[in-house]
Amino acid sequence: MMLKKRNWLVALLTGLLSVSFVLTGCGGSDSSSSSTSTSGSATATGSASAEKLDPIEISFFIADPGQAPTPDNKIYKRIKEELGVTCNFEFLVGDKNQKIGVMIAGGEYPDVITLGSDTVSKFTGAGALVPLEDIIEKDAPNLKKHFDPYKNKVKDVTDGHFYVMPGYGVYYNDFSINVNEGPAFFMQKAVLKDAGYPKVKTLDQYFDLIEKYKAKNPTIDGQPTIGFEVLSEGWRDFCLKNPPQHLIGHPNDGGVVVDNKTNTAEFFWDKDYAKRYYKKLNEVNAKGLLDPESFTMNYDQYIAKLSSGRVLGMFDQHWNFSNAELTLKTQKKFERTYAPLPVVFDEGTQDYYMDRPVLNVNTGYAITKSAKDPARIVKFFDALLTEKWQKILGWGIEGEDYKVDDKGSFYMTPEQRVNYNDQTWRLGNMAHTLWYYAPKMEGTFSDGNATGPGGQPKEYYDALDQYDKDFLKAYGYDQQSDFFSPAPENRISYPAWQIDLVDGSPASMANTKAGDIATKFLPKAILAKPDKFDSVWDEYVNQLHKEDIQAYVDRINDQLKWRAENWK
Amino acid sequence: MANNVTALADNKLQGKKMTGHKITWNTLVKQKQLIFMSVPMLIYILIFSYVPIWGWLMAFQNYKPAKGFFEQKWVGLQNFKYLFKDDNFIRDFRNTISMSFINLILSYVTAIVLALLLNEIKNIFFKRTVQTISYLPHFLSWVIVTGIVATCLSTEGGIVNIVLVKLGIINSPINWLSEGKYFWGIVGATNVWKELGWNTIIYLGAITAIDPALYEAAGLDGAGRFKKMWHVTLPGIKATFVVLLIMSIGHVMEAGFEIQYLLGKGPVLDWSETIDIYVIKYGINQFNYSLATAAGIFKSVIAIIMLFLANNVAKRLGEERLI
Repeated sequence: MMLKKRNWLVALLTGLLSVSFVLTGCGGSDSSSSSTSTSGSATATGSASAEKLDPIEISFFIADPGQAPTPDNKIYKRIKEELGVTCNFEFLVGDKNQKIGVMIAGGEYPDVITLGSDTVSKFTGAGALVPLEDIIEKDAPNLKKHFDPYKNKVKDVTDGHFYVMPGYGVYYNDFSINVNEGPAFFMQKAVLKDAGYPKVKTLDQYFDLIEKYKAKNPTIDGQPTIGFEVLSEGWRDFCLKNPPQHLIGHPNDGGVVVDNKTNTAEFFWDKDYAKRYYKKLNEVNAKGLLDPESFTMNYDQYIAKLSSGRVLGMFDQHWNFSNAELTLKTQKKFERTYAPLPVVFDEGTQDYYMDRPVLNVNTGYAITKSAKDPARIVKFFDALLTEKWQKILGWGIEGEDYKVDDKGSFYMTPEQRVNYNDQTWRLGNMAHTLWYYAPKMEGTFSDGNATGPGGQPKEYYDALDQYDKDFLKAYGYDQQSDFFSPAPENRISYPAWQIDLVDGSPASMANTKAGDIATKFLPKAILAKPDKFDSVWDEYVNQLHKEDIQAYVDRINDQLKWRAENWK
Repeated sequence: MANNVTALADNKLQGKKMTGHKITWNTLVKQKQLIFMSVPMLIYILIFSYVPIWGWLMAFQNYKPAKGFFEQKWVGLQNFKYLFKDDNFIRDFRNTISMSFINLILSYVTAIVLALLLNEIKNIFFKRTVQTISYLPHFLSWVIVTGIVATCLSTEGGIVNIVLVKLGIINSPINWLSEGKYFWGIVGATNVWKELGWNTIIYLGAITAIDPALYEAAGLDGAGRFKKMWHVTLPGIKATFVVLLIMSIGHVMEAGFEIQYLLGKGPVLDWSETIDIYVIKYGINQFNYSLATAAGIFKSVIAIIMLFLANNVAKRLGEERLI
């Protein structure tokens, strides 16, 4: 017995040892590979001394979870050889606010960090960021040209400096939006096909279609059909809270509806048009169309349900469930993917779901006080903002990752397309982490090609499955975005959802508390017996009015006004 | 039996004598190895438990990170006033205390019962198997456990609903996680499932320390299995039980965080939100560290009061105690 035990122990120990050897082995080879590559870059910069830029290592903090590119990533290698820049990424692990809090309290930052509209004021308040306007003016002609039309928009609301370089929203030349990633009521293509490709305009028509299809098909692939799904978890609760504003023909302004003429915001959660929507959901639930688990599931369960192909409809933004569509596509269930429907309450209302691209202010890279040479980093982003580098970042290397036909337009072979959609392949062959957050060209290059494969109309169409081609043809559309009415000119102060409420302020506290009340009462109201709906609703409105909603609306209005004056 | 009682009494006497000793230089020198061994622990406690108390000052400031200590604005008791006026905080306090006591009682009762039962099993293989299986869930992360719980309680193919419907106890599946009245029970049951085997280990240890002669003596006196359990095993582990209880009462403000955070969706918010979640939501996520610290101080104060209360009660009842 004793001997046996010891044998077992020895086995365990040798196992552990061998694992640790393997690990140290990995570490060793890793360091050696990096040392060889730095020497490589040294020689490269020797030859590229015409640019007179010293090699530099830039540390990035990406405030989202993610995977680091492989050490031998071909694009970063090229960046290192030609621009002399080594990018070291650190990704978010755990809670974002906690991580940022520790960072600020310690006063030590990576050179470059990604910010969002919710985190900017934390860093500016701590004086952690380097103002970029002078550096860009002096050293960065491309960035200067890039942001020139938006000079006023990129200013910080409190001190007027330019801290964050918005990653999205600057368009070059002509562009077409093939897929609108924004909000809509989505419906399975099979439902629409079954009903003979009708144009769905109102909320009532939408739920009628779902009801009929569900009655006809109580199960899909052996599992019960789910009529309508509402996601309400965490920050993704916009699926529950945003629809009323769209149903009365307003664009996405977050928790408020903004009057286009007077540029004033109205808190809409307690309004009659909100009640009308939730009352409809209550009816829908009484008919058994709503998933009873809607309000208790988390995001993963939601995606799993959509991926199973038995959810007929939901309100969402396309980017939020595109993973589920990818899964459906790999299973060849194209009829279970979704078409967007810009549904409104009444026939006469013009839908305003799709908006024109807006500059994504307060979202992108910022350079911190810890960076030793901010000008050098700005020059790096400036160098990336040339067509040559934008092509490498968006499309990859010519010949390897995409091809050019005799008319000069870019396309991908099916093989290259498979690669491009493979997350693991991207880690070794694309510099997407860097590209996503960096200031970039959108639209088309001077040679007429789109800045990325997704924006190339022909590439978009060729990549579609035959089912989707037929589906669009039945509607007489060329692309997914044709389902929407053309987007009108944006209001100057649009969109209100970007407005920073300032942490810990009465406005922000009221927003959090109202959010809690809504996630508590809306499910209650929707799941209530139809005759009880009104009483639950009244209680909900009462509770809302106990909070300092005015502080919230005041802050939004204040900022809308500021934008209208300063963003012209 | 008589032997047994005197033996216990002896033990007690000795215990009293030991604690009654005065600490003199001589004893210190005699025990220098022991003292030397405890130094790292003391340093550890100083660094990680006493130094951070400095941070409590934050609760009386309007703390902004990245500013120096002297640049902070002092606000007195404003943060505490905010807490006690906030209905949400009062509600979360209630939830924390309730769930904590449910967990406490359930985990003690089940752990002791299981330990007693396991102790009666003579087949070593079966005993070990049961022990291993019952303590394995302890090593699962709460994220996974909540996933398992959500799946089991699902209205679509969740095992709990299927069994209850098949047994005819309910007519249609119940959406367990969307009704507040079930939430505390779910938390309690999950805790038992996860920690039962683990909690049992220490009692089994205490039971093995009981002198087998006591059982023999009890047997000679005509005690059956249940009598032995009642008169020998239970008194034998009473000291362990009381010390553990005092320690857990010190943790009464820790009702857990992950399970409530991950399972407490909108509809059950009124029953699921604990003080820890409040701290995250209204403190840390709002960058309002002062409010978070104030809530933390409140928790600590309650915990200390409870600890001394429990210790005192134990003393009055003539039981083992910690301090």
